[in-house]
Amino acid sequence: MPSATLLGQALISGVLAGGMYGLLAMGLSLSWGLLRLVNLSHFALAFLSAYIVYELGTKYGVAPWWSAAMVVPVMFGVGAAQYWLFDRFHVNELASLLITFSFAVIVEAGIQIYWTADYRRFETHYSTLSFKVGPFFVPVLELVLCVVASVLAWGTWMWLRKTYVGKGLRAAAEDADIAAAYGVDHRKLAYLLSGIGAAYAGIAGTFIALIATLAPAQIWAWLGVVFAVVIIGRLGNPLGALLAGMLIGASESLAMAVLSPAWAPVVSFSVLIVILLWDPEWL
Amino acid sequence: MLLETRHLHIGYGDAPAVWDATLDVDAGEIVSVIGPNGAGKTTLINAIAGLLRCRQGDLRFDGVDMTNLKAHEFCGHGIALVPEGRRLFAKMSVEENLELGCYLQAARAARSDSLERVYALFPVLRQKRLQPAGELSGGQQQMVAIGRALMARPRIVLFDEPSLGLAPAIVDDMFDIIVRVRDDGAAVLLVEQNVLKALGIADRAYVLEQGRIVAQGVPNELLDQPHIREAYLGV
Repeated sequence: MPSATLLGQALISGVLAGGMYGLLAMGLSLSWGLLRLVNLSHFALAFLSAYIVYELGTKYGVAPWWSAAMVVPVMFGVGAAQYWLFDRFHVNELASLLITFSFAVIVEAGIQIYWTADYRRFETHYSTLSFKVGPFFVPVLELVLCVVASVLAWGTWMWLRKTYVGKGLRAAAEDADIAAAYGVDHRKLAYLLSGIGAAYAGIAGTFIALIATLAPAQIWAWLGVVFAVVIIGRLGNPLGALLAGMLIGASESLAMAVLSPAWAPVVSFSVLIVILLWDPEWL
Repeated sequence: MLLETRHLHIGYGDAPAVWDATLDVDAGEIVSVIGPNGAGKTTLINAIAGLLRCRQGDLRFDGVDMTNLKAHEFCGHGIALVPEGRRLFAKMSVEENLELGCYLQAARAARSDSLERVYALFPVLRQKRLQPAGELSGGQQQMVAIGRALMARPRIVLFDEPSLGLAPAIVDDMFDIIVRVRDDGAAVLLVEQNVLKALGIADRAYVLEQGRIVAQGVPNELLDQPHIREAYLGV
């Protein structure tokens, strides 16, 4: 059995790493839960954003927050444009899976052509910064990511719950016709939501650029885990997505510390299956 | 005339379900459309609510041509639907369902006032305001559906089979409520299978059979027609 310090450190690292799962899951969950579109290209957009932040940072010396200020609005536009396609061709839930998968493959190929399949790393002086709390190390960048993800999750959750636009979106997800009969212009709101989801991919991509090593095939690396997170967090629930992300992150990290690193991938889906079978009241 | 339809043809896919429907509802009126199951009553009311496009004919509301408007543009003109089977947003709370009724800017401005009125009309909903609408009983769900329509500050309320699936004891209350909605100032178009009740509160009525309007008039005249007596009252 590993020491308490090791377990505590694993828990902290896991929860913080889970913030990334949550951040990636949020956009996917919003579009799946409220628009009935499963957007696999969400991961591709996140990595495309990461590569752009990397390119601007390494070639032109642009600070990542300035890059984010450019990339995030562009991604919003990409998301809205994607919805235009879905709407134009009456794409349903299953077809959206196939179409966005193709879109992701195209983006992956594009990244590979421009940036090659080599591993890329955006080195910054703060990427390895950490501070010490008692015996535990807390990485600064991951902490910032978690704070950003929490603010977004909470803000989005409140937006869906408290504003008329949010209520209109939730109502239209349940019964689009009746929502329309009370004046909800679902298409207009769907453009907005699709854009917001993609903008979140842009934010996630900025952090991916700073934290991870980039390679085109990495697009698919988080697919399984993030899907589990989306489902555990309940479709369309951004706060649930974040908490589920942290839960899975912590479980993975603890499994790695207690068992062996090879166990990590087993954990997310085991947790998913357990939770689906258990179906607790609070979910 | 508040609502006028002229020679409406409405249908799903290739087959029209309603032919040549011409009917009027004036302000302050309760107008019932009666007819057997499958006659096209719901199709007709959904077209008037904007949920179905008319293939042919004119639909005018307060002089405005509604024929080419989109579904979400109907409510703003003062048309509110109480749909068949209630169709609440089951996962959302009772109050959120009501708030959806005042989604549009004009109705939103009167939110608190409208909410008070609905809670005064259905006190039980105030107690249940934070519960998911899907957890309510059938009668309470019907109250939410009517409340949602009233929140829109409508000039006409379209009721589609409001008594369907309700306990007999509540059915009378439901028809009292419909009269009250009219007395409070909105016109009512009511589609019902419960012929006696529907004719009992109506100022005028239409009979819809196999997609066509086959008779119209004031309730007493309709009840005197042998065909109506035979088909709907079994006498």
